[in-house]
Amino acid sequence: MEKYTLTNGINVIIKKNNNTPRTAVIMYVKLNEDEKKTGIYYLLSRLFLKGTKTKSSEEIANILDENAIDLSIDKKADYIKFKLLCLNEDINSGLEITEDIINNSTFDDLEKEVFKIKGEFEADLDSAKIKAQDEFYRTMFKGHPYSVGRKEILESIDSINKDDLFNVFNDVKYKFKKNISVVSGLDSKELKPLLEKHFLNLKSIEEDDKRKKVEPIKENRVSFVEKEDANQAQIFQGWHFPSVYCEDYPKIILLNTILGSSGLSSRLFLELREKKGLAYTVRSVFEPFTLCGNFFVYIATEPKNIKTSLDGFKTEINKIMKELISDEELENAKNNAVGKRQFYTETNLLEANLSGYYEFLGLGYDFEEKLIKNIQAATKEDIINTADKYFSTPNALCILAPEKYLKNIATN
Amino acid sequence: MENMKKIKVNYPYLEKPVEIYERECGHKIVFAYKRGELLNISSWVKTGSINENDENNGISHFLEHLMFKGTNKHKAGEFDRILESRGAIVNAATWKDYTFYYVTIPKGTGDKNFKDTLELHADMMLNPVIPDNEIGEPFDLNNPNITTKRERHVVIEEIRMRKDQPWTTVYNNLNANMYTSHPYKRDVIGNEQIISQVKREDVLNYYKKYYTPSNITTIIAGDVNPDEILPMIVKEFDFKNRQNNNTNIYEIDKPVQTQKTVVKYSQINTGFLMFGYLCPEAKDIKNNTILEMIGIILGEGYSSRLYQNLIEKTDNSIFNIVSTDYYSFRDGGNFFIQANFKPENKDEAVNLIEEQLKDLLINGISERELNKAKKKLKVSFAENSETVSDIADTIGYYMTVCNNLECVEEYVKIIDSITLDDIKDTANKYLSLDKAVISILLPESMK
Repeated sequence: MEKYTLTNGINVIIKKNNNTPRTAVIMYVKLNEDEKKTGIYYLLSRLFLKGTKTKSSEEIANILDENAIDLSIDKKADYIKFKLLCLNEDINSGLEITEDIINNSTFDDLEKEVFKIKGEFEADLDSAKIKAQDEFYRTMFKGHPYSVGRKEILESIDSINKDDLFNVFNDVKYKFKKNISVVSGLDSKELKPLLEKHFLNLKSIEEDDKRKKVEPIKENRVSFVEKEDANQAQIFQGWHFPSVYCEDYPKIILLNTILGSSGLSSRLFLELREKKGLAYTVRSVFEPFTLCGNFFVYIATEPKNIKTSLDGFKTEINKIMKELISDEELENAKNNAVGKRQFYTETNLLEANLSGYYEFLGLGYDFEEKLIKNIQAATKEDIINTADKYFSTPNALCILAPEKYLKNIATN
Repeated sequence: MENMKKIKVNYPYLEKPVEIYERECGHKIVFAYKRGELLNISSWVKTGSINENDENNGISHFLEHLMFKGTNKHKAGEFDRILESRGAIVNAATWKDYTFYYVTIPKGTGDKNFKDTLELHADMMLNPVIPDNEIGEPFDLNNPNITTKRERHVVIEEIRMRKDQPWTTVYNNLNANMYTSHPYKRDVIGNEQIISQVKREDVLNYYKKYYTPSNITTIIAGDVNPDEILPMIVKEFDFKNRQNNNTNIYEIDKPVQTQKTVVKYSQINTGFLMFGYLCPEAKDIKNNTILEMIGIILGEGYSSRLYQNLIEKTDNSIFNIVSTDYYSFRDGGNFFIQANFKPENKDEAVNLIEEQLKDLLINGISERELNKAKKKLKVSFAENSETVSDIADTIGYYMTVCNNLECVEEYVKIIDSITLDDIKDTANKYLSLDKAVISILLPESMK
């Protein structure tokens, strides 16, 4: 692994790996200002592939597909991520088109793209799970940009004009902090000139985070989504946990492993699925955003099982808050959590993604080693204390089901 | 060690040839070398909904769930706990032609992880006890007072989950109408009525009939030395004179002769549709490859014809999503066009897709499109050689559905040999408008 900084301030990590035939290039762009118009970062990320000063969206699509180049731009809660994946032999074409879209996008297809987004979101919202999940984030992060879902974007998207887009486009190009990670079979000697050629036009400035802070949940929040023909209730229950920067992060990884993220042997899986037959899918998820963590439990179950499922969640959460786990369970969780990390670097893309993510967070590309050490150092007391510290705070609950089942829950 | 047939296959993008060993009992063992810290051990069984009927539909998938419920040596849950405590991903899947079980695990130091995984995996494959208390009592779906719920309830929840997915609904309705008698017409997961009533004895008999040596291929993908571990695999996979059975042969359904449209309604706001076609058997590698190429040209990615012509180049398009897919099956593949659209424009949506098909049938494709499809297919091999699980899955598919892996060596040559005329001929043979079944899902308000 080699790390250096381009003269424009962009940190670069290069790792050589001959084991696979494709090169992965990832660029993280840190979003440290809130959107002035909801959905503008998402719209911008969509429009990057929709035409530049010299190429139409069709020409861009042809170049990418004819060379089997995978180029995508994803807007997430804390960043925009550019991903380029191609055969080593096509790296030049891949970087050329990446440079072009980052520097020369025209946004001429704004209206068309807005129309398409509206249609796609409407199609997404025909999925019960997506509908419930959007509502869950709304409930969990009420009033904060982390709550923004399809509905909010649909409400705001028509107000976004080309000038607005060029303003944030300039921030992305010349202001927001960026870092690049490359994992490839190519030598760094070959890669360095290419990166200079294609990324030096950008600027990367370290600035304070100006985003709105996440307000804690002061009392339990509940939201219901009615769907009369739902065969299953969709239940999400979440707590604000600390961000990825907190020293509790490794302990939370273990807590999540024990409770519901470790495949077929987690507590939620064993108790709610294997012993009670309540669901096919039941799990816990921890999303470590930079301003706040989102820890939630999820189950999809026959609507008449809603109360039993909520009781099951309560029992398991209380248990992990109040009862010390066994030495064996702790050891198993550590081995699971550490062992699973091998999967995060199996391909060039995954490895570029992970090292780039840590660099984006400012934790250093070698954070993985430290994290593993800290996971291994955690004690049984750490788990119970961490669970008690965060699960004893108010939570957000969202349920999608036919109305009669929601009424029963509301009155109980 | 017993005598075995050995074949080597040059597999694109892997450092060493893949080695295939066939034992006297018919059990096949495959090694694919891939440097790295992860190992994948999987066993592929040549059975799925292809071997089911109206009475036991879903039994292959139910058995897949029940295989995790312990052996005489390892009680239920032990397999998952031991392996997951070492960072493994453990799971299984059932499809029309096959069922497979896999473990992907960090190699660790020494060979302990490999040996333990192999022992647990082989024991699960050969000695499942499928206890009654794990299956759960048969029950009446209309009885609201069932309190003891076990694995059959888990599967019923999986069925419920799929019913809430619009794409699954439109696909199942299409699939059921594309076939007349072939078992492919059934949904792999089955239905609640059957799963609530199926008996342990039926499941065990099904297991005995199909989990035979010649029906099973065990694949090891990762940084391993076949000479060292082959004897271990042979020892653990002791079939104890288990007899092989003949493969079931089914009459292959003919495509519909006049276009057929089926419509369902649901509580949704957009329209979903799928065009479906019956295509050649998996062993017809050339025509399957051509149909994959047609899929790329017609509906894969932003440069595809359907996306460009029906969405990108149209103001206020009535389509939100439009793409293609191709599934290859032993007794004949399926070509699909799928779209999400503004429901008030249902007839126009169907017409516009038909126009794109007509253009393909009459005018064929361009040289540029042909080259794009060739490149994309070749690179998909690179993509599928990046992880041990993708390598094992690709090999498992070929070994189980096509009955051999040697065709992979031919695959790249076949891709290079395909001409513009080949594309036009195959398109006209399989994708004419009268052979299409169209499944549509619309909002209930349009009933």
